[in-house]
Amino acid sequence: MKTKVLILGVGNVLMGDEGVGIHVARQLATQPWPEGVLVLDGGTGGFHLMEHLENADQVIMIDATLDHRPAGTVRRLRPRFAREFPRALSSHDIGLRDLLEGLTILGRMPEIFLYAVSIDSIQSQTIDLSADVERILPSLLEDVRNFALSLIEDPTFCCDQPMDPIDEDEGRLYAHYDIHSTS
Amino acid sequence: MAERLVIDPITRIEGHLRVEVEINEGKVTEAYSAGTMVRLLEEILKGRDPRDAWAFVGRVCGVCTTVHSLASVRAVEDALDITIPPNAELVRNLMFCTQYMHDHVVHFYHLHAMDWVDVVAALKADPKATSEIAQSISNWPKSSPGYFSDLQKRIKKFVESGQLGIFANGYWGHPAYKLPPEINLIGLAHYLEALEWQKEIVKVHTIFGGKNPHPNYLVGGMACAIGLDEASAINAERLAYVGQLLQDAKEFINQVYIPDLLAVAPYYLDWGAIGGGLGNFLVYGDMSANGYRDTAGYKFPSGAILNKDLSQVYEVDLREDAQVQEFISNSWYSYSDGNEVGKHPWQGETTLKYTGPKPPYEHLDVDQKYSYLKTPRWKGNAMEVGPLARVLVGYARGREDYKEVVDSTLSKLGVPATALFSTLGRTAARGLESILVADWAQEFYDQLIGNIRNGDTRMANTEMFDPKHWPDRAMGVGHTEAPRGALGHWVVIEDQKIANYQLVVPTTWNGSPRDHNGQRSAYEAALLDTPVADPAQPVEILRTIHSFDPCMACAVHLYDEEGKHLSRVSVVGE
Repeated sequence: MKTKVLILGVGNVLMGDEGVGIHVARQLATQPWPEGVLVLDGGTGGFHLMEHLENADQVIMIDATLDHRPAGTVRRLRPRFAREFPRALSSHDIGLRDLLEGLTILGRMPEIFLYAVSIDSIQSQTIDLSADVERILPSLLEDVRNFALSLIEDPTFCCDQPMDPIDEDEGRLYAHYDIHSTS
Repeated sequence: MAERLVIDPITRIEGHLRVEVEINEGKVTEAYSAGTMVRLLEEILKGRDPRDAWAFVGRVCGVCTTVHSLASVRAVEDALDITIPPNAELVRNLMFCTQYMHDHVVHFYHLHAMDWVDVVAALKADPKATSEIAQSISNWPKSSPGYFSDLQKRIKKFVESGQLGIFANGYWGHPAYKLPPEINLIGLAHYLEALEWQKEIVKVHTIFGGKNPHPNYLVGGMACAIGLDEASAINAERLAYVGQLLQDAKEFINQVYIPDLLAVAPYYLDWGAIGGGLGNFLVYGDMSANGYRDTAGYKFPSGAILNKDLSQVYEVDLREDAQVQEFISNSWYSYSDGNEVGKHPWQGETTLKYTGPKPPYEHLDVDQKYSYLKTPRWKGNAMEVGPLARVLVGYARGREDYKEVVDSTLSKLGVPATALFSTLGRTAARGLESILVADWAQEFYDQLIGNIRNGDTRMANTEMFDPKHWPDRAMGVGHTEAPRGALGHWVVIEDQKIANYQLVVPTTWNGSPRDHNGQRSAYEAALLDTPVADPAQPVEILRTIHSFDPCMACAVHLYDEEGKHLSRVSVVGE
């Protein structure tokens, strides 16, 4: 059956705040949802997520970004290109971006909305969230939930919703290799 | 005058590998490989229930999630002396074969092909000539002139828009690209077909592992119930579907991947003499039809080869203190008993001690410690792990299936056996073992179906699941042959909790820094003498490094605070 709205948390739970998307997905998965909504812990899934993305009309993705904004800042974006997904994410992001590019070429890219959560750093040795990110979790959960429910009721709901502007250099780390040389 | 070139990050996916090379007169004369993220997964695992470890280690990486979970449950089963039922072994093998086929195809088309295939030049191809070539190398049906011409039109739009990284960020037009436009177009077409195919084959993981990504494993067996007529279990319909997926995978490998490999290779035969590196190879072994403990039945036989000498294969013992050891003399860690000693993973320590330059920095101080990867050694030797090691050990042990695929490929390409010790050999070996794995998957599948038909539906041995049956202290090792190479997890269990846990992963073997004797590891050795036509576009270096299929996510697990310098480097790259 086709998924109308896929709520997809991505990130690595072994890296503290970097896993905020997974925390959101796991908590939302315990709530009741109307038919057509799928909540998925995408983990560090990369290419493995293709089936789920392709099978969805609209996707709400939640991910962390190291964009130098205060930790816990949440932006709702509507990226048009894979390169506009947040930069400097952890190990999972470029695999996901390659997948999104592939879906674009194949003409099967769903409509994606991205909740980008600013984090301060990627902490080692912990599966817990920092206080700054933990604090915004309840409101983020509520925002994602309300947005998903509105989309289920009316898929065009998003048209008149305010979206945050996309940074000029959003996702610039996409450049596969950064090179500098000196003599 | 020597030029120092820094490439950071070098991996297209999964983490950060930094390579610094010195170039003299167009060739690499010195190379240093560094992992610039911190590795601390071991610390997260300490004090946890060993039955849960597989779920944590499975999160390390988005590419090889299953291989870590597999090594983990095996390590714990080894410690607690648990024998799992035959069906669980077969299901694990099938999931593992699936992982292989998925990983190798994705590596070839999505991570490595762009080092050889110029996707922008594909736009110049003549669709009719492309179709003729495609039909001459394979029976794959998608090969009409119309198919290639439609694809070209579709791609042109994206290339012109400059919005897709795949078309915007390569070294397109570099003189090191040698393929005619038509073969470039075939490569591009199959890049997209492989993307579609890969989503099918991973469904085997969903069926047996309950979900994907990150399928479920279980200490003592597998967590899936077999019931031929039950709607919620692995029933006849689902098993038939698995059979179909495995058949389709075999077809894709034999009709798309291998013909493409053989069509591309003749244009790059000079790479059969570049990138050889150490000449020492290590395989832990895996995949017996009779279960993990049947080491003699391993389809990937274990063994070590030294100095390219295929006449002798040494036995490998992961329990013996003096065989596998990790050193830190060039890594940002400290050991409680000194900087020069090597530690067997059961005695392993993971105490960080960053002494590198304060970021942002231009160069690593390579006379000191310069990596977050430890340096593993086998009996003191630097070893290469991965597809080339496996194919060479199977070949050297005289296994008929290996000899057949290796000899026929060498003769098709008209190259001597010495061409195996190279960048091209490494890339070819990955394809050759994919042919073997696709066949083995059929065998394991038939055997599983046979067992179930005979009424054996056992999938887990739960006798030891309750910790009250466990000894006060137990040690175990679990190994597998991950697509990238030999993978081992060593666990020490005390009072029912994890007291120590060490992973020695393939990319640590291959990508580690020098050891205390100054011996280079595999990447560093393989890069020596690599020609570099244009240091501003070092595609040749990427070819050799990518031929190892680097995966840094598990080699070095986490960023530290300093990890932010990575975005600084991208500024320098402007």
